[in-house]
Amino acid sequence: MSPRLRRAVFLLACVCLLPAFAHVASTMPAFGAHPLPYGDLINAVGVRERHVTNMVSAINFDYRGFDTLGEEFMMLCAVTGTTILLRGTRGETQDRPQRVPGREIRPRADATVLICRLLAGFTVLFGLYVLLHAMTTPGGGFQGGVIIASGLLLAFLGEGYRGWRHVAHSELFDAAEGGGAALYALCGFASMLMGLPFLQNMLPLGKSGDLFSGGLMLVENAGVGLAVAGGFGILLLEFLEETREPEPVQEDE
Amino acid sequence: MTGFLLPLLPLLPWAVAAWLFGVGLYAIVTSRHYVHLIGCLSVVQASTYVLLLAAGYRHGAPAPIFYSRPPTLAVDPVLQALVLTDIVIGATVTALLLALVLQLHKRRGTIDPERVRPMRR
Repeated sequence: MSPRLRRAVFLLACVCLLPAFAHVASTMPAFGAHPLPYGDLINAVGVRERHVTNMVSAINFDYRGFDTLGEEFMMLCAVTGTTILLRGTRGETQDRPQRVPGREIRPRADATVLICRLLAGFTVLFGLYVLLHAMTTPGGGFQGGVIIASGLLLAFLGEGYRGWRHVAHSELFDAAEGGGAALYALCGFASMLMGLPFLQNMLPLGKSGDLFSGGLMLVENAGVGLAVAGGFGILLLEFLEETREPEPVQEDE
Repeated sequence: MTGFLLPLLPLLPWAVAAWLFGVGLYAIVTSRHYVHLIGCLSVVQASTYVLLLAAGYRHGAPAPIFYSRPPTLAVDPVLQALVLTDIVIGATVTALLLALVLQLHKRRGTIDPERVRPMRR
């Protein structure tokens, strides 16, 4: 199909779908006045039943905890797929990565190094803070894990590839990613061992508004945080391996 | 002057979602560069965020966080949780697609969708 024909088909489809969209949009409940029965129910009973004040976390880790397990494994699959794709050909044709001819490798500016060194630690700390406050205020394993991974990226910008690889070992990230996902699944099996339904909260719930309230949700949140931070760490590492500077001596992994 | 547009205002979130979906898809259809195409896929995905958050919105209602106030009517936390997972999955899937592009570039030497022909055995 030629590009022009493809574009024509696309525009034709848009024109055909436009009346349908107009009909749906005009018969939707008014914006801001939807009936939200499920959400209202959780807002009403969540604090009383689960002793946490962040309803989004209550849904992610408890009411719909099984969905999050599936999502966790989707992430594991995507990260595994990326790793396999990138590792597949590395070093197959030649031992050393190529460099683009005629492109010089400039050293980093001092200001970049300084700012990244300063910010990397704070970013990881902030990620931990967000991760820990999953049950009380907006936060949680997903957001915290991603922020921690951004801290890792800042560390790379500050230290350069070689310095970064001294601290960032792939085994560490692999263990965090796999271990986090396993921790989540094991939480479910722990409930089953006690004769309860899968992922049923059986730990003491604690006091609402307390940092360590929510019982089993805390463990699941930690698992998600580990898995997300580890998963994004693996992604960073694999992509950086693809773009690393040529080195005179091949580093062994 | 803009008074006659006011009744259309409630349609805005749906229109924004449809527009993001449409422009993203148009750009995918006409893309000449796979990295650009993946960026466009993220735009299409952003339309789902707008749609979900708009569906869960309630006028004047606060966020579903009851740390400093008692539980009252709030916006829908279910849809917010869905968007949260949507974003994380989107990021990892984008990484997977970019890895595919890298492989394509290594094997075929091109990342133009027009110049990639079906594989022959």
